[in-house]
Amino acid sequence: MTEERIATTKVAGTWAWFFQRLSAVLLVILLGIHLYVAHFMDVGSHTGDEALITFEDVSIRLDQLIYIAVDYSMLAMVLLHGLNGFRTVLFDFDMFAKRKKVVDRGLWVLGIGTLLWGIVILFPFLSGG
Amino acid sequence: MKIGSLKWLFGKNSEFWPTNMKTGMWAWVGHRLTGLALVAYVFLHLSFLSTASVGSGDFDSLMEVTSQPLFVAMDFLLVIVVIYHAMNGARVIMFDLGFGIRHQKLVFWICMAVAAVLIVGGLWAIWDLVFVPAGGA
Repeated sequence: MTEERIATTKVAGTWAWFFQRLSAVLLVILLGIHLYVAHFMDVGSHTGDEALITFEDVSIRLDQLIYIAVDYSMLAMVLLHGLNGFRTVLFDFDMFAKRKKVVDRGLWVLGIGTLLWGIVILFPFLSGG
Repeated sequence: MKIGSLKWLFGKNSEFWPTNMKTGMWAWVGHRLTGLALVAYVFLHLSFLSTASVGSGDFDSLMEVTSQPLFVAMDFLLVIVVIYHAMNGARVIMFDLGFGIRHQKLVFWICMAVAAVLIVGGLWAIWDLVFVPAGGA
């Protein structure tokens, strides 16, 4: 070992730390709602005691703005939390810690790109196929 | 630090060699591994949902497959991973707020006890979907 490792906390920064905690708490709440709504609530042909979910069930559910809001904000929080967590893992390795700008830009592109992909994914359920 | 050989990371003298790791370190490694698995899952989840862009029939036939007992059992693995990550995450936030850090080992095992209870609850919720064939309903 010739040189000292770069401390991950110093590379990642305080805002990343703060939003990781905030999104974590929000995700626990959103995940609870998401699971209940997707698997246990009676919607269309889906009842709380069966595993099968159909396109129609999801479409009926997503007719209501509140469920779009829950799912889409959950996607945003998941991407923030997941990619930010992945960023922290990357920064534990010197080769990525030294290339902070590249890593940050790459993850922003991936995150925003996936968020836009989320709209594409949502679309067929809204227009009814 | 030599990146070329991975001995520094996984060798007997590394921090990650199982006998060199203490409770807090295991908790940390577990948090990272489950975190990475969950990021991978999110992208898998999105790609499954995106089959609806091809056609509602494609989505429905994929959902038929994923509602089979084997896949629901895999969902239970997901439940375990999420609950571990959430409970250890709660522990991390607790320490950040200044509670319990002096008793971090005890706090870890309390969190794991709560996780175990939640996992049993998850198993209870998922049980019928795995062991009761859907054809009967």
